[in-house]
Amino acid sequence: MTSRIAVLSRIDFEVFYNWFIFPKKTLVKNFTMMQFRAHFGRALRLLNRWQRRFDLMRLINITILLLFLAGWPLAPLQAQTGAGTALAAAKAEPAEEGLPTAAQDIFSRGVFHVSNSMLVTWLVAIAIIVFAQYATRSMKDVPEGAQNFWEFLVEGLYNFLEEIVGADLVKKSFWFFATIFIFICFTNWCGLIPGVGTVGWGHDTPEGFKLTTPLFRGGNADLNMTFAMASIFMLLWLIWALQSNGIVGFVLHIFGPKGDSQGVMKYAMILVFLAVGLIEVMSIAFRPISLSFRLFGNMFAGENLLDAMSHVIQQPAWAKAVFSVVLPVPFYLMELLVGLVQAIVFMLLTAGFTSVICMHDEDAHARKQH
Amino acid sequence: MVTPMLAELGGSIHVGLAGLGSAIGVGLVGMKASEAVGRNPGAFGKIITIGLIGMAFSEAIVFYALFLVH
Repeated sequence: MTSRIAVLSRIDFEVFYNWFIFPKKTLVKNFTMMQFRAHFGRALRLLNRWQRRFDLMRLINITILLLFLAGWPLAPLQAQTGAGTALAAAKAEPAEEGLPTAAQDIFSRGVFHVSNSMLVTWLVAIAIIVFAQYATRSMKDVPEGAQNFWEFLVEGLYNFLEEIVGADLVKKSFWFFATIFIFICFTNWCGLIPGVGTVGWGHDTPEGFKLTTPLFRGGNADLNMTFAMASIFMLLWLIWALQSNGIVGFVLHIFGPKGDSQGVMKYAMILVFLAVGLIEVMSIAFRPISLSFRLFGNMFAGENLLDAMSHVIQQPAWAKAVFSVVLPVPFYLMELLVGLVQAIVFMLLTAGFTSVICMHDEDAHARKQH
Repeated sequence: MVTPMLAELGGSIHVGLAGLGSAIGVGLVGMKASEAVGRNPGAFGKIITIGLIGMAFSEAIVFYALFLVH
């Protein structure tokens, strides 16, 4: 009697459990240890296999992560000095029109600052990483969809860079240039999504609501980000230059005389090329500044342009409503192009600088043969 | 005559000059690119890439003037 009751109650419990708590019986049934191991074991083996095959993709992801962490230490500096002395004067003037040159903080506690540009940078980096992982989750020999997109992008970039920096150097430096291109291009394009720069905190004025601190701001419309990327490149440039030339070769490459001259002319040429080397050093020192300001200026000016175009016509309410939407549209298309071109330019310039400093040995070799 | 005029100028004349220069530069690149396409229509893809990059370099001069010079 008692055992029967126990059996009944157990059945009741099972029915109750399966029908009300877990409507799908299969869910409970399938979760045996064997199947768990089978599932996850296969996943782990797959993971290992494509990690070995696609180290490149992982390297790009890690580089993006490092890149967006690199912007972090510069943020407190910006809060104290207002994005460096170059922009201090621009900030001192009360900005009646246009956007502020420096990215504003949306969160700050002590020395820990998060600006709206940093937020966009992180979101873009996370989006790229997730997209890349999703695309390479189940690799096929004949790619399609997202995997096809990434293979097209990476292979295209590889062939493009091979022409510029040469077959040897591209193996060593491809991860950096590809990351730079993919990251800058996606960041620029994400700055064009409606809502970036138009959602945030502000206050009411007689003319209407005025936005003062947007929640999102284009990642490259912040000098800290572009300067961080340019600095990382200069560091890598130095490393690659020293690796391929050695210290003596590196100094000779900058200061050493080029061309064949005999006798007294040879000593004159040494003096001339010493002066040329000094100019070269100046130009190298200016490189991070020109790289970062080119990208920052283009992106910031683009955002300013779109902002200005949406405020051109103010007077009749219906015209304001219509033209604030219609007028920026052609400029959005232009900004799509500018975002891509600036990504190409940044990659091309960094690759060009690297190729010029590392090609020394092959040049001498060719001359000797000649 | 010229001196008071120059004294009145001030402000951001360097941006104007840089804009003038880079506009000429962009125009030159466009002119030569269209000439090149006229001569060799098959190379349109390569020419437009080089042309756009050249235009971007020329354009960047304005941004140096805007943000670097004060």
